[in-house]
Amino acid sequence: MTEPLNWRLRVVHTTGYRYATAVTQSYNEARLTPRSDDRQNLMVARLETVPTARVNRYTDYWGTEVNTFDLHTPHTELKVTAASVVETAAETVPAEIATWAEVRSAEAVDRHAEFLEWTTYVPKHRELSAVARSLRKGRTPDETVLAVSKWVHDTLKYQRGTTGVHSSAVDAWQAREGVCQDYAHLTLTLLRAVGIPSRYVSGYLHTKPNAAVGETVVGESHAWIEAWTGSWWGFDPTNDIPIGHRHVWVATGRDYADVSPLKGIYSGGAATAIEVTVNMTRLA
Amino acid sequence: MGEDAQMSRSSIRPGGDRLFDRYLDPRRPHAEAYDEMFDPVEGVRPAYRRLHESLMPLQPGDLTTRSDALDRALVDQGITFSLSGQERPFPLDLVPRVITASEWSRLERGIVQRVRALEAFLADVYGPQQIVADGVLPRRLITSCEHFHRQAAGLAPPNGVRIHVAGIDVVRDEQGDFRVLEDNLRSPSGVSYVMENRRTMARVFPDLFMKHRVRAVDNYAVHLLRALRAAAPPGTTDPNVVVLTPGVYNSAYFEHSLLARQMGVELVEGRDLFARNNMIYLRTTEGEQRVDVIYRRIDDEFLDPVQFEPDSVLGVAGLVNAARAGNVVVANAVGNGVGDDKLIYTYLPEILKYYLGETPLLPNVDTYRCWLPSEQAEVLDRLDELVTKPVEGSGGYGIVFGPDASAKELAAQRRRIRSNPRGWIAQPVVQLSTVPTKVGERLQPRHVDLRPFAVNDGESVFVLPGGLTRVAIPEGSLIVNSSQGGGSKDTWVLAGRASDEDAELRGSGLAARPRSDGATTPERGPELNIAQQQQQQ
Repeated sequence: MTEPLNWRLRVVHTTGYRYATAVTQSYNEARLTPRSDDRQNLMVARLETVPTARVNRYTDYWGTEVNTFDLHTPHTELKVTAASVVETAAETVPAEIATWAEVRSAEAVDRHAEFLEWTTYVPKHRELSAVARSLRKGRTPDETVLAVSKWVHDTLKYQRGTTGVHSSAVDAWQAREGVCQDYAHLTLTLLRAVGIPSRYVSGYLHTKPNAAVGETVVGESHAWIEAWTGSWWGFDPTNDIPIGHRHVWVATGRDYADVSPLKGIYSGGAATAIEVTVNMTRLA
Repeated sequence: MGEDAQMSRSSIRPGGDRLFDRYLDPRRPHAEAYDEMFDPVEGVRPAYRRLHESLMPLQPGDLTTRSDALDRALVDQGITFSLSGQERPFPLDLVPRVITASEWSRLERGIVQRVRALEAFLADVYGPQQIVADGVLPRRLITSCEHFHRQAAGLAPPNGVRIHVAGIDVVRDEQGDFRVLEDNLRSPSGVSYVMENRRTMARVFPDLFMKHRVRAVDNYAVHLLRALRAAAPPGTTDPNVVVLTPGVYNSAYFEHSLLARQMGVELVEGRDLFARNNMIYLRTTEGEQRVDVIYRRIDDEFLDPVQFEPDSVLGVAGLVNAARAGNVVVANAVGNGVGDDKLIYTYLPEILKYYLGETPLLPNVDTYRCWLPSEQAEVLDRLDELVTKPVEGSGGYGIVFGPDASAKELAAQRRRIRSNPRGWIAQPVVQLSTVPTKVGERLQPRHVDLRPFAVNDGESVFVLPGGLTRVAIPEGSLIVNSSQGGGSKDTWVLAGRASDEDAELRGSGLAARPRSDGATTPERGPELNIAQQQQQQ
């Protein structure tokens, strides 16, 4: 059942880079446009850059809308602003509940093979597999997803600066600290260890559950997971909460590498991120 | 075995002739292989009759004289092939390999059929994946392929061609039937040797060509250029085609420069090109030039740092998106490797049936799939009899010949297969056919394969008559890859009786060389090699 779409949110995501020496050329891909599905409806989206560039668009293998742009005039700063308005639904429960036999059927394994694979961010790890197996005991697949998410939430301490963009699930687990990207990867490592197809979700989180209409809050570029237990459904291990009004999804993939919000290649000096802000306003 | 007995009794040993002394010795390794010159009962096969007659009067010393002349001619022409970093002359054997018109016509039809099916397969894999939806192939077969490049999903070339050039490696089995050993759909190399070997042979043995109607190979570049121009984005009246090379240190640089020269197009490196707003330009001393078609000889992984290896400086940043936008055509297309994966190769009969409704005109070599548990068990049981090959890769690297491997090597191989079943296939040892080859002062049977080259211009698939015959020089060796120290042979496809095909030395083709480097000189751009991305919080 689809819940009524009862939040409307404006998201303004600004990223700024400063370069040590002038950049003469750069080629960039932005995966910042929210998608539409049965719990989210994209109303409008726009991407702007300073210096200005012509933005081209395509849909990638994962169905994500990609904005591409290149710059050819020397610049020492780059600012990318992605703005959108989306409607989001309240929390939903999984539409269908599958048994372990169904999750592991040859047909399901073949269909979801990519979401059972190990990757650099989501590697196979003996000790973590053992943890996953113990969490699975006596639980159905969907209960296991909740148990694994809770375990990750309880095991990691939310802490910026310990891990980086290239850290794997194991790196974060060994540090016992990380950010949402790490929570998501660690959850995926455990779920895939017990054969539950699962994927990385990139998006935004509105940080105030009882926000008033018209109020702008500082949001976050966020990540969570989706698991397949008969149907795909999401869960947010960083906050140990279901996906609801406050979650705006942008892209899904095997791990962060498939959905990297902004990536590029340039010639010039070292870059520092000088500004990353996400402003979210509840419009209705 | 009976066959051996038959051979030792037979009268085919070429008489007292010293060149062929003990040629079909029944004790030679792989004696059951098909010899292309001699039939064990009938003697010299019709295809080779004239060649055999021409060789008979030669004295062993003549062979050496001729062979020295060949070597000198090759060195003069500058043909070398990089082997483990060292340059050495690419050994061309002086006895050509002969294929009759009817044998060729069957082979050609089989290759054309294969290219058509693989084109349809690639279009589907990077499009709707209907073959998976219809349950003909498991989805995992494709998604687990190392060269299934998701970056190419939805990228549809304007004239639908992805396999502008294919190199289909074939061998002849014990019955003399051609079988496909592997497909090469990425950047198959070797065609320069086909052309240069022919040029050298014609110079050193003009007499042989006067006695045969050998189909010409010197018009390859004409066909390639036609196919590349036909691939250009619609509305391009005079397409600008370039050849993109990784550079002078690449082992096939000679070929890249030869093809560019013969086509009369620019030979460029990645830094000569740049993308702006989804268009590709060539920097020249006279300013920027729009590029429409890039015949690239750079692997996908290095082609575009935005999509692949971010620190590659060989490629062109933004190229894949420019191709996606339809403003430039990359030939061969990005992601073709999914079509020449050796596990996917085993499904070729299903692929042919699904897209063309046909059965293979050219069979595969029998192959076991290690990723299917039942076949893996058989492979592990018979590892000492089988050849195991990695599904990806070429040049003979990683191949284990069961019969030649030590117990320790077999154990290591068993572990490799168990830990990565998707990565391996196994085949029985195919006794590749043999052709007389100069060894010392005699002619000896040596095993050969054949890589014919097919060029698809979207209307028809042209197969260059002949191809690169590679020969394994050590006695008994079945490994013919040039990267493993093999040699080559000029490959003659005889013209049919009624054929109006140009034969070698009957036209003016041989001496004609298209113009050399163009008037414009490429300029270099800055290196793009720094990646930026940001952690999700």
